[in-house]
Amino acid sequence: MSDGAGRRTFLKTLAAGSVVAAFGCDSKRAEQLADQAVPAGIDPSELNWGKAPCRFCGTGCGVEVGVHKGRAVAVRGDEKSPVNKGLLCVKGYHLPGFLYGKDRLTHPLRRQPDGSYQKISWDAALDLIAEKYGAALDDHGPDAVSIYGSGQWTVFDGYAALKWIKGGMRSNNLEPNARLCMASAVMGFMTQFQSDEPMGCYDDIELTDDIVLWGHNAAEMHPVLYSRMLEAKRKRPTMRIIDLGTRRTPTSDYADVYIEFRPGSDLAIANGILYLMLKNGDFDKAFIDKHVVFMRGIEDVDEIGYGCFGDQAERYTFKDKGRRSNIDELRTFLADYTPEKVSAISGVPVAQIELLAKIYGDSSRNTLSTWCMGVNQHYRGTWMNNLITNLHLVTGKICKPGSNPFSMTGQPSACGTAREVGTLCNRLPADMLVTKPEHRAKCEKAWGLKPGTIPSKVGYHTMDLFRAWTRGDVKVMWVQVTNPWQTIPNLDRIGRNWKDDQFLVVSEIYPTVTSAVADLILPSAAWIEREGVFGNSERRTQQWNQLVAPPGEAKEDAWQIIEVAKRMNMGHLFPYTDDNWHEEMYEEYRSLGLGTGKDLASYEQLRGARGLRWPVVDGKETRYRYTAGHDPYVKKDDVHFYKAKKYGEKAAFWLRPYHAPPEEPDKDFPFWLCTGRVLEHWHTGTMTRRIKELHQAVPSAYVEMNPADATALGCSEGDVVRLKSRRGELDLSVVTRGRGRPPRGSVFVPFFDEGRLINRLTLDSMCNISKEPDYKKCAVSIERV
Amino acid sequence: MRCQHRARLTLALLVCTAACGNSERSANGVASKSAAHVRAERRAYDGAPPVIPHDVFSANCTACHNEKGLLVPGVGFAPNMPHAKTVGVGKQARCTQCHVYRKTEETFRDSLFAGLHQDLRKGRRHHVFAPPVMPHATLMRENCQACHTGPAAREEIRCRHPERTRCTQCHMERTTTTEFPPAVRRTD
Repeated sequence: MSDGAGRRTFLKTLAAGSVVAAFGCDSKRAEQLADQAVPAGIDPSELNWGKAPCRFCGTGCGVEVGVHKGRAVAVRGDEKSPVNKGLLCVKGYHLPGFLYGKDRLTHPLRRQPDGSYQKISWDAALDLIAEKYGAALDDHGPDAVSIYGSGQWTVFDGYAALKWIKGGMRSNNLEPNARLCMASAVMGFMTQFQSDEPMGCYDDIELTDDIVLWGHNAAEMHPVLYSRMLEAKRKRPTMRIIDLGTRRTPTSDYADVYIEFRPGSDLAIANGILYLMLKNGDFDKAFIDKHVVFMRGIEDVDEIGYGCFGDQAERYTFKDKGRRSNIDELRTFLADYTPEKVSAISGVPVAQIELLAKIYGDSSRNTLSTWCMGVNQHYRGTWMNNLITNLHLVTGKICKPGSNPFSMTGQPSACGTAREVGTLCNRLPADMLVTKPEHRAKCEKAWGLKPGTIPSKVGYHTMDLFRAWTRGDVKVMWVQVTNPWQTIPNLDRIGRNWKDDQFLVVSEIYPTVTSAVADLILPSAAWIEREGVFGNSERRTQQWNQLVAPPGEAKEDAWQIIEVAKRMNMGHLFPYTDDNWHEEMYEEYRSLGLGTGKDLASYEQLRGARGLRWPVVDGKETRYRYTAGHDPYVKKDDVHFYKAKKYGEKAAFWLRPYHAPPEEPDKDFPFWLCTGRVLEHWHTGTMTRRIKELHQAVPSAYVEMNPADATALGCSEGDVVRLKSRRGELDLSVVTRGRGRPPRGSVFVPFFDEGRLINRLTLDSMCNISKEPDYKKCAVSIERV
Repeated sequence: MRCQHRARLTLALLVCTAACGNSERSANGVASKSAAHVRAERRAYDGAPPVIPHDVFSANCTACHNEKGLLVPGVGFAPNMPHAKTVGVGKQARCTQCHVYRKTEETFRDSLFAGLHQDLRKGRRHHVFAPPVMPHATLMRENCQACHTGPAAREEIRCRHPERTRCTQCHMERTTTTEFPPAVRRTD
């Protein structure tokens, strides 16, 4: 820049937002404006814009990424996306930053005996993995190998892993971190409809009259959907938002009604609503007769347990047994849930329980129930899923535009990959199970495998997988796109022993606490550095192309798996051409769901679309499953639960009682501890903390506390306190004026901070049916440091 | 408190620099950053939501960032929002969904990210007499006046005819998306 300093300063002055400048600016002078401190300008017209779904939460917002000279330099909300209509949250707007941390992993790294890591070639790395898996299979059998993946896997990664381990290595030890996140919702839908994923979609937000949020902070965790709720309410002031929570959050701030309950008592509240609706005659008898059967499972707390005490702390395999029930039994069952009794259990005033019953019971208004981690990460998570859906089944408020039970997913492809591809220890694609001979046979046929190849023995669920790993029963584990050494509850139980005969591979994009205990670290291509498909909360499958090159030697996870499989003589599982393998693999996967009500859109159609909601039949997406006029599989006049063969193609209402939490505050540990996310950070922060703006907004974990508790402890904002549970302890600074406000006797700690691992304190109790752990309830003590 | 102090200081400096005119340094001798630099620092790239450059003054952002903007004596000018009212105003606005505070100046790890920062001096127009084309989409930037007129308008993009309020009559939004070329196939 040739301009003199004087002029520069003068012009800076004008531009500085001061009040002295007059209007008007001729173009010549504008050209003279100069500033050496700002990088040389890029002409926006030089950018190429490519579509992709956001990399972070399960909302599945559409973004357009601006690419300049091979690098992502900007993002804008995709106005063509029906999900977000152009809006994003602060994480979405800062997406490209997560690709360019200076410490990106760019080469395979092998751990040396002294604990350091040395670069090795891809060939050497892949050979080593194949050798380790091969040796484990030879010496210890299929139970000794495992893959631990993610709801952030693309469909390709998950499908490659599933095919390799189930169809190649003949093991079902395949789990995603979605077990920690969505498993209860899966089991909720499976136990009631015999088919996973919601019947409704995001369109319900604009069509409903009342939204009841069951224990989830949508304003921070699904911000764009919460914006849609607020915008719908602004346009239609008769709409109401009811927030049920165990602490006040930004969601409560905007809700019409905030209902605060004691942790775990949501089970009692839902039953209390059923009690009142039955008493008030609000059940839709015609709908129930036509579409609902009543079921009852095992309810004995001693038989069920909590998955974390005694023998269950090593292996938890409780299996529910259902039997037919009826409405008369329900009436007797609900006698325990009078408003007074529910109020005593939950701390919710009778009037608020009555209000909820009135909302659900009012047939003139549409009701949308939404939930996420509060309900799913619950020691009776499947029961809670059942109970919320029960409220809709008895009132007929289901499969109707504006009235549905709707579970929100946490991860961008928890639905698309973990749930639809079925990367779980008991599942196969498209709702199929390894325990069903006809399902195994269908996959074997499609994959060209000998009958009997896929094993029927269910593998370890995530919690038992890490317990087995710690015992040394599992010899090889490959972790992709997730960070278990930060996220498994009761973390100190899964320390790394460096036993000679165990081998841990971690595919990552940055060093993490998990890669720090790996024998081999592989550099992965992330998000737009490769081609991908994600599926979001509302059954929307979204495809994107590779937009930029990955750094160094980084490769996509699916490629890593396929290359190892080839080295183990399992290349026949991946018979695709080199230049079009994504499409070929997707079409093969898609063929498994066609004609079953889980029909995905063709790859060709996905390329041009902003995602499509399955079932997609004749190129048309489905907004409402099981509903005539929407779902092409419904030939009857109104609603048809055609997937639920076991229940005579009706939906199952499950009677589910209240059970007390496994651990409650007492004299020694007087506080409830709840953990979770914050708006600015995604999961364990490995991506978002490398984005300057997001890290600077929330630089470290803290403990959110009621001001009265802080005063009683003799501490104030910013003081450091020590949290102790029966399992571990952690020092954190106190926040009393934060965005969330817990009630007295309750604290909240986010889990994104690798320097402050709150999961050293959490309890490894879990849902009896889904085996999803409960991160929301355990007891801690707090003292000043 | 440190944060608030810094934020106030920055704003004060801007006002001060403006008043002092031809000086690289403000009255108290602290080096000031240029406005363009400050602008670039506050957003990851052009089009990203700027971070909030001050501490929490009020729970209600629109108390100051109202329809006309607010000049706060001794602190600075709180500009109007470029967002249309439909996005939600007053109590219902979820400003912090996109705009975040800075609790620290430190970073977690170094970054090589370099965002789009366009040269505001170089607008595009069809020919020399044609009105400039908008270089950005208007979603969330429906209110042109917020950035192109008034005290917060940067010199380079300040409108010469603020009395004419039908901006899109002459200035076109570039609506066509340059779709990314077909997938880059891997060769290995």
